[in-house]
Amino acid sequence: MTTPMLEVKGLSTKYVTRFKENVYAVDNVSLSLEEGQSLGIAGESGCGKSTLALSLMGYYFPPLHYMKGDIIVDGKNISGLAPDEVRRSILGNEIAYIPQSAMNALNPTQKIINFIEDVIHAHNPDMSKMEIYQLAAERFETLGLSADVLKMHSVELSGGMKQRTVIAVSTILSPKVLIADEPSSALDVTSQKMVIKMFRELMDKGFIKSMIFITHELPLLYNVTDRIMVMYAGRIVESGTAEEMVFDPVHPYSKGLMNSIIVPESGVRDNKLTAIPGTPPNLKKPPSGCRFAARCRLATDECRKSEPKVQHFGSNRNYRCRLTEAQLREEHSND
Amino acid sequence: MKGYRKYFGKKIIWLIITFIAAVLLNFILPRLLPGDPVAVITARTAQGVSEASAVKQIYEDYASKFGINKPMHVQFFSYCKNALKGDFGLSFSQYPRPVSDIIHDAIWWTICLQFPAIVIGWFIGNFLGVLAAYIRKGFDKILMPIFLFFSSIPAFGMAIILLVIFGIHFKIAPTSGGYGFDLIPSFSFKFIGSVISHYHLPFWSIVLISIGAQAVGMRSMSIYELNADYVKYSRFMGICDRKIVGYVFRNAMLPQITGLALSVGTMVGGALVSEIVFSYPGLGTVIYQAVTMSDYPLLSATTLIITIMVLIVSFGIDIIYAFIDPRIKAAQFD
Repeated sequence: MTTPMLEVKGLSTKYVTRFKENVYAVDNVSLSLEEGQSLGIAGESGCGKSTLALSLMGYYFPPLHYMKGDIIVDGKNISGLAPDEVRRSILGNEIAYIPQSAMNALNPTQKIINFIEDVIHAHNPDMSKMEIYQLAAERFETLGLSADVLKMHSVELSGGMKQRTVIAVSTILSPKVLIADEPSSALDVTSQKMVIKMFRELMDKGFIKSMIFITHELPLLYNVTDRIMVMYAGRIVESGTAEEMVFDPVHPYSKGLMNSIIVPESGVRDNKLTAIPGTPPNLKKPPSGCRFAARCRLATDECRKSEPKVQHFGSNRNYRCRLTEAQLREEHSND
Repeated sequence: MKGYRKYFGKKIIWLIITFIAAVLLNFILPRLLPGDPVAVITARTAQGVSEASAVKQIYEDYASKFGINKPMHVQFFSYCKNALKGDFGLSFSQYPRPVSDIIHDAIWWTICLQFPAIVIGWFIGNFLGVLAAYIRKGFDKILMPIFLFFSSIPAFGMAIILLVIFGIHFKIAPTSGGYGFDLIPSFSFKFIGSVISHYHLPFWSIVLISIGAQAVGMRSMSIYELNADYVKYSRFMGICDRKIVGYVFRNAMLPQITGLALSVGTMVGGALVSEIVFSYPGLGTVIYQAVTMSDYPLLSATTLIITIMVLIVSFGIDIIYAFIDPRIKAAQFD
C-alpha cells in the first residue's frame, strides 16, 4: 500500500475567545487521502468545515489553537514542527490553500507576479525573477489564463478571473495537497464550471496530487470528489464514496442534508424539499451524548446521554450513530 | 498612460480653480480688518507736526504710495500684476522694508523646520502605528495612550510643555529665537551650532504631535488590514510575517497619505503657532506680527505663500496617489 498524501489522526483544535472561553471547533477528526484522490467535506454553515481546513495546515495563529492529533503529509508528521518550519517547508509547496473569499484574497496594491515572487521566494529564495516569470507564465497559459494577468493588479480582474488566478497562484509550487475552502460559492454557474474544470486539469496534469474540497453544495461535491465526509458540530458524522453519500446517506444528519437540497437530475429526489430544523449547537459547551440529538427525529434519551460510537459497513462506510445501519434504513424508508 | 493624463488634467484644473479662489480671499480678507494702518504710519511720521493740512498731506502721500485710495478692483489687479513679479509692495509695520524681503528672510526658517518635522513625524508615527497593531499586547497598551495624549494637544501646547521642561527646568535648550542673539547669520561653525541647538525644541514639538496623530490613525487602519483576507491567504501561502507587515503597511498607509496632506494644511493653525512660542524667525512669527500691526500687504503675502505651499503639497500627493494605489489608476480607465 502506498503512503497516503495526507493522513490525519485524531486532530482537535479550538478557538479561544476574548473571554478565554474555549470553542471546540474541530474534535477528533481523522481522515486519509490517497494520491490522485479528491475528498469532499460537506456540512451546514457553522459546523467546523472552514476551521478544519485551517487546522489541516498545521500552522496556527490566534484565536485558533492546536490541541492534539497528528497531521502526516506524504509520510512526514508535521504537527510536531516549529511554526516557522511549517511555514517554510509545508505551506504553499506541500499543502496549498484556497481561501473562502478568494475575491479578496489578493493584495489590492500588488501585481500578481510580485505576489507569486514572494510566495516562491518564501520557499526557494534563490530562484531568479526571470525564472519565476517563465514558470508562472507557462502555468497560467496551461490553465487557460493569459500571461498578461501576471502584470495586473487584482482590481483589474473580474470575479471569476480573480478566483482562477488565486487557484493558479495557490498551486504554483505543485503542492501535494490542495485545500479548497468553498472555492466556488461566490461565483455564477459559468464561472463555477470553469473553476471545476480547472481543478480537474490541475489533477490530470499532476500540478496537485490530491485535493480536499470544502463546500455546502452537495451536487458540486458529487461532480468533483471521490469521497465525501459529512461534518457536524466539529465531528465527522459520516463518510463514504461520493455516489454512496449522495444517493444513499445513512446518518440522519447526512440524510437531512441531502433532503434539503434541490437536485435537478430526475430520480435523485422525488420527495418534497425538507430542511433540518434548528441550528448547530454552541461548541463552547458541546452537548453530552450525540451532538445531533437535539435536532434528530430519531433521538432517544439514550442518544442524549452517551456518545455514539463510529460504526462501519460496506467497503469503507463509516457513520457515527447509536442505531444500526438496518435500523436507520428502516426509519428512512418510513418517510 | 491615457488614464494618467486624464487624472492629472483633472487635478490641474482643480489646482487652478483653488488657486484663484485662494488669491482672491487672500487679497480681500485682510482688507476687511478693522483699523486704518495708514493712519498709524501717518501718526508715527507726523509726530510733532501740528498743522492739520500737513498731516493730511502726509496721509494722502502714504495712501497713494500704498495704492489704497484707488478702488478695490484696481488694487486687486495691480496686486496680481506685481505679485507675479514677486513684488508684494511695502510693509506697513516695517516701512519702508519690502514685503518680499521680509518673507525671503523668514520662509527658509519655516520650510526647514516644518517640512522635515512633519515628514519625519509622519514616518515614525506610521511605523509605530503599524507595529502597535501587529505586536498588540503591552507595546500597544503602553504606546496607545501616549499617542492619544500627543495627538490631542495642539502644537503650541506641546511647545510650551517642552519649553518649560527642557528650556526652563533643565536649561538644556535655548528658549527662543532661531539662533543666539549675539550672532549674525553666517556660515561659521558657531552660528550653525547655535541654529541646531535652537532647532530642537520647535522641531520636536511638531514631530511629537504628528507622531501621535499619525500613529493613532495608522494603528486602527492596520488592525483593519491585518484582518483582511489577503493577509490570511498570504500567511497560508507560507509568506513570512515581516513581508506581510510590509503589505499591511502599504495598504494602511493610503489613507494616511491624505492625512499627510491635511497636516500640511493645518500647519498654519498648529505648527506655525509653535514658532511664535519660540519666537522662531519663521513665517509664523511674521504672520503674528502682521496681524497685530494690521500689516495687510505682509499678511496677504504670507498667507498666499502658505496657500501655495499647501496647494503644491496636496497636488503632489494626488500625483503620488495615482502611482501607489492601482485602484485610482483603474478608476480612470472607466
